[in-house]
Amino acid sequence: MSNMAAFIDLNISYTADKKRLQNIIETAAHLGYSTVAINHVVDFQQKKQEVGKPKCVSELFDQFPIVQGKSRPIKVLNRLTLMVSEASHFRTTNEFKLYDIVAVFPKTEKLFHAACMSFDVDIICIAVTEKQPFYFKRPPVNGAIDRGVFFEISYVAAIKDSTMRRYTISNALSLMETCKGKNVIVSSGAEKPLELRGPYDIANLGLLFGLSEGDAKAAVSTNCRAVLLHGETRKTALGIIHTVKKTQPTTEGQEEEEAPASKRMKTEAM
Amino acid sequence: MGYADNMSESVSYERLVFKNASVYHYMKIYLILDSDDRKFNAAHFKQIVISALRDLYGEIGAAFPFDVLKFEEDTLTAVLRVYNSGLVKLWSALTLLGSYHSEPCAVRVVQVSPFLLALSGNSRELELD
Repeated sequence: MSNMAAFIDLNISYTADKKRLQNIIETAAHLGYSTVAINHVVDFQQKKQEVGKPKCVSELFDQFPIVQGKSRPIKVLNRLTLMVSEASHFRTTNEFKLYDIVAVFPKTEKLFHAACMSFDVDIICIAVTEKQPFYFKRPPVNGAIDRGVFFEISYVAAIKDSTMRRYTISNALSLMETCKGKNVIVSSGAEKPLELRGPYDIANLGLLFGLSEGDAKAAVSTNCRAVLLHGETRKTALGIIHTVKKTQPTTEGQEEEEAPASKRMKTEAM
Repeated sequence: MGYADNMSESVSYERLVFKNASVYHYMKIYLILDSDDRKFNAAHFKQIVISALRDLYGEIGAAFPFDVLKFEEDTLTAVLRVYNSGLVKLWSALTLLGSYHSEPCAVRVVQVSPFLLALSGNSRELELD
């Protein structure tokens, strides 16, 4: 059950700069994150924004960096964040299935309500760069908790700027008042390796956001895992997970042809 | 007879259970900077930590007691000692430290323990499987 306590950071900002992206992922692995998600943001307020295909993560590294203390390579996922300011912006498309996680950033109270109650997403982002423009009401928040949708607080703004730090903390505290520490994840939103912090640091930072000690640790581990599983069920047919078993080297000719060259050599030698 | 009596007196066992025996927590941290041409000494380093505390908790926060027990200038590694009650404050201030004199930097917390002896080995890099 080592999976249970694995630390996950679900928000690494995507940059076209491959070198920098590699650097961030290496740092995350060094800090002890066993899974990270690269965040692709689509803002519908800007013109000509479309949900495109995510970049293939296997292009990033030949060999993924080893997670500290785990002797296992880091897992990299794709995440989509939709900045939504009008109801017409949110349209479920087939492209969603290409992403492991889908998040939504509702700008108005009406959209926040809709996001909690009906949008088919995994994460609802909470504003950290501006004062929360509306109050968190109990019914939508409870609705989201019942549906297994999580609220995300990203901490990178708090590191960069002292005014934003104030917004981050006050928005987080007002969220905690309504959700009581349930269904909260804390993620980085890092654009540079220096903006990442270790998972234990974040568990401690959670105490500042009004989470309890246990909830704060869950916000970087078990809750994130729940988000991944929620995303998995969204990609397939609600609740059914389709897996493909790796073909084992057998004597059947057809299967042998599918196996990679190195494996074929081995079976022949045997 | 006398010999046996002596034995029972000198060999006695006592069981002591301490709860939260240590009043301090120790932190092993290191500082990383974007450019590594800057030189720091222990006084500078303490100044950085105090400014981080002031940024988050204000003047009263900056006044709370902590000690830099050891500072290595070449690796920028330090061992801090802080009262248990101040641990969360100090740790969160270090976490949210993003720049010093408008130069980006970060503090990596390697270990936190109530006992200094525990800092001799790194529990986070243990391989368990």
